[in-house]
Amino acid sequence: MTMPDDIGIIDTMIGFPHADMAATYSFITKQTRDVQSKEEFEFPAEYMFKDVPDKHLKGVPDPIAVTVAEMDRWGIAQGMIGVGGKDRQGEEAIERFPGRFIASAAADPNQGMEGIRAIRRLKDEQDIRAVGLFPSGTFPQVAINDPQMYPIYATCAELGIAVFCCAGVPGPRLKMAPQRVELIDQVMYDFPELTFVTRHGCEPWEDLAIKLMLKWPGLHYSTSAFAPKHYPKAIVDYANTRGADKIIYAGYFPMGLSLERIATELKDVGFKDHVWPKFLRDNARRVLGLDAVD
Amino acid sequence: MTMPTDLGIIDLGMGFPYASVEEKKAAYDFFKPLLRDRESRDVFEFPAEYMFKDAPDVVGADVDPVAWTVAKMDEFGVEQAMVGLDERGIRAKQEHPGRFHLMAVVDPNRGLDAIRDLRAAKDEHDVVAAMCFPSGTFPQVGIADAQMYPIYMRCVELGIPICINGGVVGPRMPSWPQFVEQFDTVLYDFPELTMVMMHGGEPWTALAVKLMLKWPGLHYMTSAFAPKHYPADIIRYANTRGSEKIMFCGYFPAGLTLERQMSELPNVPFHDDVWPKFLRTNAQRVFKLPGGEPAIEGNPS
Repeated sequence: MTMPDDIGIIDTMIGFPHADMAATYSFITKQTRDVQSKEEFEFPAEYMFKDVPDKHLKGVPDPIAVTVAEMDRWGIAQGMIGVGGKDRQGEEAIERFPGRFIASAAADPNQGMEGIRAIRRLKDEQDIRAVGLFPSGTFPQVAINDPQMYPIYATCAELGIAVFCCAGVPGPRLKMAPQRVELIDQVMYDFPELTFVTRHGCEPWEDLAIKLMLKWPGLHYSTSAFAPKHYPKAIVDYANTRGADKIIYAGYFPMGLSLERIATELKDVGFKDHVWPKFLRDNARRVLGLDAVD
Repeated sequence: MTMPTDLGIIDLGMGFPYASVEEKKAAYDFFKPLLRDRESRDVFEFPAEYMFKDAPDVVGADVDPVAWTVAKMDEFGVEQAMVGLDERGIRAKQEHPGRFHLMAVVDPNRGLDAIRDLRAAKDEHDVVAAMCFPSGTFPQVGIADAQMYPIYMRCVELGIPICINGGVVGPRMPSWPQFVEQFDTVLYDFPELTMVMMHGGEPWTALAVKLMLKWPGLHYMTSAFAPKHYPADIIRYANTRGSEKIMFCGYFPAGLTLERQMSELPNVPFHDDVWPKFLRTNAQRVFKLPGGEPAIEGNPS
């Protein structure tokens, strides 16, 4: 039950301090309607987080170096980041710190064929290993099983890359319907070859998520945006029983959680010995196709 | 208002005859699980035959179906035809260069295999279109259903149109997958897609015209309709703003003889400038067919 040191953790969700949080989250606040989200919160889900690292790190001269230093400090060998942004920050990080970052691309189903072409281009140019989806956060919202999502799933399956998709009640005060966990069932039925990894907890339908992971070999769960002390009990139990290959570590630095807090709390999660390396590294390596590379 | 002769008609819906009634019945087995009424299950040879007077498509086993169809095309001035991608279609295209174009039938229930096969069909056989029969897939899949979307994506990637049935379906199975309103959603999501509505769009022909006006990518071909039954909305549209949108597509030999189609066609009141577009040039443009001179030289058969 002891978390190993020096395993070389893979964090499947990490980012860089944002210079302008309001601009970063404007894609969410253009949809939120409550006053707090619009006027008070700097981070639209901050009512759930005690201490948002992004707030303290605003204006740091070298955001990439800040993240790398935190990774070094807390034993994170590799982090999955986004590429394809206008600022090319992800590309810069990969160039400056070879081997430390894994490329993924956020996809917006509202972009139609342009979005599909971007995925194929980023696969060619940046070797992306995953596509990120945030169904409640697209504008207009697009549900997990919506027709507009299907070309993205088809393209990811054809390219052999994973989808990382938010599921469960979203933190920002957006409508939850697009992220109902039950919608994943149909997607896995229609795309049996797809690797689909949930993000952001699946709550309050974590039991359903487990039923579906048992049913669909391609379905996995990552712990993004959850402080380890809040990992759902059912998920920890599942990892310790039949789901050791299914549960994947993801943090949320600097968007909502410090690596210090995550690392400190992680030790208290009751994973069994054989689960730890899978959770912290091996499952991510398999799902992201990293084993074949080295 | 006179239909030109010797234009070199392009018929976007041609087939080959069956060697026997059994072979013909088997060709419709793919949607038999959907049929529930006694006539459709036990009596009809062709599931929509209650609408057709004479389905002329059974010949003897000693007849070469390709040569038989080519002879009919020659007899009635059909220079080029689109046929399904199967053994006979591939052979027809090989044996009669310039006369046949291939279209690949896609089944959205086959998931990724459907879009992989469509790419292969383009690479290996140079298909000029994909075709889907939404009410005839089993289980049924609607035009705007999620399962169709990867197929539309692939058609855009390959630069080929999708031909897709719209309107109440002839065989006695549910029509909802083909409700015409669904074209609106698909064309909004895929503005680069070329869609060609098949099998009439009835009774929503006025809606079909509204949508063709709205969406540059939406077209219509007259498959499965005897010319005397062409919807008035469609003829009026072809004669006004839609002359680039409406294309001739027969139904021989599945449901209509070429003799009937060609004898009724001259009575369709298309304007003079519409006829060549309807019978030939729209098809060349929409399906990117080799254009220019008629491919027939001398005696093709």
